[in-house]
Amino acid sequence: MNPGMLSLSLRAGILTLSLFIPTLAIAQNSATAQAPQQKPAPQPAAQQQTPPSQPEQPNAPSPASSSSQEPSLSDLGFTPQQTQGNPKLQAELNKRTEMLKIHQRLGLITLAPMAATLITGPMAKAKGRNGQTITEPSNANLDFHAALGGATTALYFTTASYAIFAPKIPNNPKHGAIRFHEALSFVHGPGMILTPILGYDAYKQENAGEKVHGIASLHGPVAIATVCAYGTSIVAVSWPIHLKFWEKR
Amino acid sequence: MKRNSQLAFLSAFLALFVPHCAATQSDTTWVADQSTLSYHMSHPMHEVDGTSHAARGKGVCHAGWCDFLIAVPVKTFDSGDTNRDLHMTEATRGAQFPMVLVRAHFALAEIASQWIHADLEVQFAGQTAHYTQVPFERTQQGNEVRITGTIPLTCSDFKIERPSFLTVPIKNEIPVRVDMTWRQQ
Repeated sequence: MNPGMLSLSLRAGILTLSLFIPTLAIAQNSATAQAPQQKPAPQPAAQQQTPPSQPEQPNAPSPASSSSQEPSLSDLGFTPQQTQGNPKLQAELNKRTEMLKIHQRLGLITLAPMAATLITGPMAKAKGRNGQTITEPSNANLDFHAALGGATTALYFTTASYAIFAPKIPNNPKHGAIRFHEALSFVHGPGMILTPILGYDAYKQENAGEKVHGIASLHGPVAIATVCAYGTSIVAVSWPIHLKFWEKR
Repeated sequence: MKRNSQLAFLSAFLALFVPHCAATQSDTTWVADQSTLSYHMSHPMHEVDGTSHAARGKGVCHAGWCDFLIAVPVKTFDSGDTNRDLHMTEATRGAQFPMVLVRAHFALAEIASQWIHADLEVQFAGQTAHYTQVPFERTQQGNEVRITGTIPLTCSDFKIERPSFLTVPIKNEIPVRVDMTWRQQ
């Protein structure tokens, strides 16, 4: 081989190496990064907030993305329990929310007859001409108060049943305002049982022409404590309240 | 002869240096070390922030582009009230679609700049929405990089029926504040 040919062959060989080795290096790097394929040129989203297009299906780990270079959910180490959808739990949550919405509405509605019962309570005792309480109460006032009390009791326990029988979500320790809301139910709950019983006793004593005495005389104080606990319970579950209707949005 | 040796040197330089350049331009992988994701919910009577520290993320930069994936379980957002969190999970169909996935895509050239403008694909509540050129601020903290920004999510983007209190629904906007620390693997 003459020196000219040797030099040409040498140059061709080195040039081939210089072009081929980088390709090898890239391929090797890609292989170590768990992706043997080359990624297509990315296309940034053309539109903002495209309408949802994905069919509704459980949020399982996403299928292989357009490029194997892109990280996938399986790379992040979440457990299948965390990533798999649970339609049964979703149905329970839906039912729970529906029942608690009714609980909330009925609870607010119950406030009206409860307040009216509290206001009409002192009126149940008829007043004499000189302002003194007489032993014979006005039947109209007493019956109206008793009817309001009955309606309040019925509404109250219907309201409570929607919270009591709402599905319980397991592994969900309670914290926050809901705990205070629930704790107060141990005050107004017994209060709502005691108040009508004491009221019935007081009603019987008044109808018998007697001055209300004994444990029945606690009907008023128990009712007031019950209403206070009930009102506080409503405020507690809404806390903290930021009244800012007057502020500009 | 001198010309031949120059050519040989150039070829040898190319053969040795170009692979090195290619190697530095190849994949870099990033992993999230710490994360704080917070959504903000507004109602005339309530201002609520729900925060999760359970987000995980991974990013790969390759061929001039970076693709990052951030995932967080819906139920890990804590607003300070269990009842509200369960209601949020219900409203966002969080039991059926338990993960929020955010895929970010941006040019590799931005990874060292103060502001990164990423195109985002967010999968949430069984729906997918895209947000273009969302700005994130990048701060170098030693070996780590802190990324902060806000994703302008809305309830309507994900067909979420807005919860209401005293018949007044919450605002449609539920911006999600992202504060994550990343390190290169």
